[in-house]
Order: sequence, then structure tokens, then C-alpha cells
Amino acid sequence: MTTWIRRNLFRTWWDGVLTVVFGALSIWVLWSLVEFVLITGRWEIIEVNLKLLLVGRFPAEQLWLVNASVMAIAFWLTAALGGKQAPDAPVRSPLAKFGGFVQRFGLVIALGILLVVLAGTQSSLAVAGGVVAALLAGRGLNIARRRVKGLTRIPGVIWQILVLSPAVALIALTLMNADLELWGGFLINFYIAIISIVLCFPLGVLLALGRKSTLPIVRLISTTYIELIRGAPLFVLLLLSGVALEFFVPPDIAPGSVFRAVTVFTLFTAAYLAEIVRGGLQSIPKGQLEAGKAIGLSTWKITFLITLPQALRNVIPAQIGQFISLFKDTTLAGAALSIVEVLKVSEAITKQDDFLGKGYIYESLAFVSLLFWVGSYVMSRESQRLEKRLGVGQR
Amino acid sequence: MSEKVFTDATVMSGNRNDEDAIVTMQGVYKRFKDFEALKDINFRVGTQEVVVIIGPSGSGKSTLIRCINRLEEHDDGRIVVDGTELTMDIRNIQEIRKETGMVFQNFNLFPHLTVLTNVAMGPRQVRNMPKSEAEALAMEHLTRVKIPEQADKYPSQLSGGQQQRVAIARALAMKPKVMLFDEPTSALDPEMINEVLDAIKELAQEGMTMVVVTHEMGFAREVADRVVFMADGEIVEVGTPKELFDNPREERTKKFLSQIL
Repeated sequence: MTTWIRRNLFRTWWDGVLTVVFGALSIWVLWSLVEFVLITGRWEIIEVNLKLLLVGRFPAEQLWLVNASVMAIAFWLTAALGGKQAPDAPVRSPLAKFGGFVQRFGLVIALGILLVVLAGTQSSLAVAGGVVAALLAGRGLNIARRRVKGLTRIPGVIWQILVLSPAVALIALTLMNADLELWGGFLINFYIAIISIVLCFPLGVLLALGRKSTLPIVRLISTTYIELIRGAPLFVLLLLSGVALEFFVPPDIAPGSVFRAVTVFTLFTAAYLAEIVRGGLQSIPKGQLEAGKAIGLSTWKITFLITLPQALRNVIPAQIGQFISLFKDTTLAGAALSIVEVLKVSEAITKQDDFLGKGYIYESLAFVSLLFWVGSYVMSRESQRLEKRLGVGQR
Repeated sequence: MSEKVFTDATVMSGNRNDEDAIVTMQGVYKRFKDFEALKDINFRVGTQEVVVIIGPSGSGKSTLIRCINRLEEHDDGRIVVDGTELTMDIRNIQEIRKETGMVFQNFNLFPHLTVLTNVAMGPRQVRNMPKSEAEALAMEHLTRVKIPEQADKYPSQLSGGQQQRVAIARALAMKPKVMLFDEPTSALDPEMINEVLDAIKELAQEGMTMVVVTHEMGFAREVADRVVFMADGEIVEVGTPKELFDNPREERTKKFLSQIL
């Protein structure tokens, strides 16, 4: 222990100085944080406005739709993505497994507990219980899939569609039934992000392929699109989508602001994604293309069976980075399009009579940051897992 | 005799009685910008014949066999493979690629797919075979190159020699009429060269038509029906291994052989 400290922290006098300075700095930051969270923070503003922050003025009698969607997504996570071990993965002790579990889910569980405590209602406890049940059900089904004979025969694609369908159905049902104008809070950030991610992915891939196409027209259109979109600030595009449409379409049939936001985020992220995917495609050695040609595969089959799967896998970190950035950028939609998303709500609640003029903005923003940080952290962690798993067989 | 072989290989006029030829090249030119990679190539491979191409690096050997399945586009002359002429028509190109198998210097296996899927890819996606049938066929060819036990591994988990044998199995699974080998052992560690050469020799004994670009002179001597010596984009000399190695007529051939032997 002492040798470790000597070697790693105080090897030279300069190392010693750095260790002391940064050690002190870390302790100070940590202490301030703890002090803020536990002592000086006035969290009643969050407690009182929790529903507003999370779902806005979403009608209470339809909240079950949102709750059920969250459960369906939880179910999908464990049913589709859970656990097949790499064939050469070392056997881990129960303690190590528990450690891995905490690393992977600890933060989300902590946030869940925090939300339930803040809400302090029985229904929130029921929702939390439902989410846990959904996670366990998904996990159980995932294990059964690999053990029970009838289930092992189901092809992977069909399995993925089956376990994803409840989530998709519930989200679609929510979108159709609820009045979009009443939506707000973190829910709307989440939905804008999810829908934009799902839509921008295929568009980005198509643009990347288009930019590498042998047809000059396709190449020209793709390149122009990508360079135009990448040359404009996202905020400006959001503002434009709010204003410019009024010139062409009468206001009563113009699409709502959430629809516009999704459109802008999709088109914007697709352009960046296209460049990421193009980079991935360029990283594939020419020999792969030639090997595909040599066995007689058509150009399309070479792309979709050989180069694209490898390219997408090579750029997982950059792709997820782009998605995380999209997720956080949804907060811009409040300022640009007057959507009542979580940042807007967090500002608005500090102007309530009880809280006005008392500097509650710190607590309010801290809570919003926590939501985004947990979301982004989970995405980044899961992407690393995905990368490792898909990395089987490639070094 | 030597005169006749020479004639067969290089001189070809019109559609002269040439029914058993699988590959014929007539007056083929290939240019990369200002550089002439192939100059007036006349070349013929008969059924069940094994032709080995040797020559210094940059002499156009690889370019020549890459023209046969259109990995390179020739600029002039005619190339006919199994009765189909290579033109801009993509259907002709696909047809020819179905009938030619190619093995590359760097294996070029698909790293994201298992060995079995690699080999089954052609039959399944090009010949539209059902999955089970394609995999059975793939297994058969993996057995043929003596690595059936590696079927479920990924290419990166195999040694270079094993990877190259998988590549051979992948090409064979398309049941090609002619196999093209582009320096199949050049990227291998010395101790793995023989396992690959043995697999190729076995194919030769089974009567597979082959064109092999290689630096393995011992192999050429043992397996080739004819050896082609190329230099500076031209075919300099053609003969049986005995003629070409023991009794080269051209100065350039003599010089090359003296440098490597």
C-alpha cells in the first residue's frame, strides 16, 4: 500500500505537488457538491413540481400510457440487449457479477429511488415496481430464449421485432391519444430524442451511401444536403422551422411545434451521422469489396452484407456521441419553438409565487442536469458494451 | 514441341478452334494513367490446365489475373471466360464472376462473419440456395481444405494458413470453372506456406483449372502444366516447367531465374 502510494502519487517532488493540489481540489469540489445536495439545497421546489418537470401538463387520466411505455422500454432493454456472453469471456465470481450489475444499473436505480422519494406517492412506487417487474420479465425471457428449445429457433430479427413491438405500440398510442400541446417536461425531450434518433439513423446511412454513389446526381444531392445542413447552427434551423413555415402554409394546417422540432433534429443529425458513417465506410479495406465482387455478389449485397455492417460497427462510439448530443440539444427546442420541455419548465417553476426571487434556479437546473447526465451516461456505457460484444472476432 | 506450346499460349487469331479454352485473352492492354501495366497480352487457359505466372514485382502478373474477373477493367483487346466475353454489361461480369473463384494475397475474409457464413455467403446470396443447403455445402468444402472444426470461429481467431484455406473453400463453394490465385502464400509465415500449397496441389490433382501467380518456384515446377514468365507488362516466355526453368530461351527469363534461384 505505501509502496503503491509512493510509486503512483509521490514519485518525484513535482508528482507530489500535483497530487496535493489536485487532491485538495477534488475534495473541495466533492465537499461543495455534498453540501449543496444535502445541506444548502432547497429541494422542495423539485418535490412540488416533479410532475411538471417530468411530464408537463400531461392529463393525469392518460398518464398510465406514459408509465406503460416506460415499462415496455425497460422490458425491451433486458429482453433484447441482455447478456449473451462472448464465447471466450472469463467466468466471473458472484461478487464481480454484482459489481458489474451495480456499475451498469446502479445510477439508474439510484435515480429511480430518488424520483420515488421526491414524488412520495403510492402510485409512483407502483410504477417503480412495474419497471422492476418489466426488467425481470425481459431478463427471464432473454434467458429462456437461449435455453428453451422452441424459442431458440426463432430467428434473431423476428425476436428483436417481437420484444420491441410493445414499446413501439405504446409510444405510438401515446402520440395518437394525448394532446401534444399539453405535453411537456422531460417526457418531451425524451420522445423528441428517441423519435429523431430512430428516424435520422436510416436517413444518415442513405446519405452516406449517396455521397459515395457512382451516380453523379445522387452524389451531388447528398453532398449538397450534408454541407448545407452542417453549415447552419442547429438553433437557427430550429428558429427557421418555427417561422419560415408560416410563409408557405396557413397556420391552421401547419404542423405543431413538436413535429417541427422532430423534423429539424432528424434532418440535422442525419447530416452529421452521414459523415460519421462515410468515415466508417472509408475505413473498410478495399479487399473486402474485391472479395465480395469475386464471389459474384451484387453491389447492393456487398454494401448491406459486407461493408456497411463493418462500417457501422467501427463507428459506434461516434454514432452514440452524436445521439447523446441530440438528446441534450433537445433543450434548445424550448427557447426556439416555445415547446414546454424540461429546461423551460425548470425556469418557469422558479417564477411561481412560492419560489420567485429566491434563487431557486440552482436547484432547478441541478435537477435537470442530473436527468440528462444519467441519460447520457447510460447511453455511453451501453454503447461500450455493445461495441465489446460486436467486437467478437475483430481485432 | 516447345514451339507448339508457345504458339498455343500466345498466338491466337480470330475464333480458331478453341472450344476447350476456359480463359482466352487477345491483344489485351491495361493502362494506369501513363503507365502501361499490360501490353498486348495473348493468353489462353484450357480445361483442367494449371498455369503458373511468374515474374518480378510490377511486371503485371496480378493485373493480368485481376482482369480475368474484372477487378481491373482492361482498356483494349478481348477477354472471354467460359464463352462469355467481358464487356461493360454488368450481367456478363456477374456471370463470369460466378464461374471464377479468386484467392487473394491478404485472404480478405469477412471479419464480421463466422468461417461457415463466409464460405456459405456465395452459394446463399449469389446462387440463392436455402440456408441449410448452403451451410451443408460450406461444411463440405471446409472439410475439403481440412478445417471443418473451425466453422464457428471468426477469421481473426485463425492462423494465416487456416484463413487462406477458408478463403480457398469460400471460392470453391461457388463451384467455379476456374480458380485464380493471386500470390496466395506471400502474406504467410514460412511455416504455414506448405499447408496452403498442399491444398492447392490437391485441387490440381482433382482436375481444377487454375491460374496461379506465385513466387514459389518449387511449387510451380511441381504443379504447373505451363509456366508463363512476365516482365514489364508483357508475356516474355511460355513453356512447360522443365523448358522454362531448365532451358530458358529469353535473356530476361535467364536473368530473373538467376536472381531468384
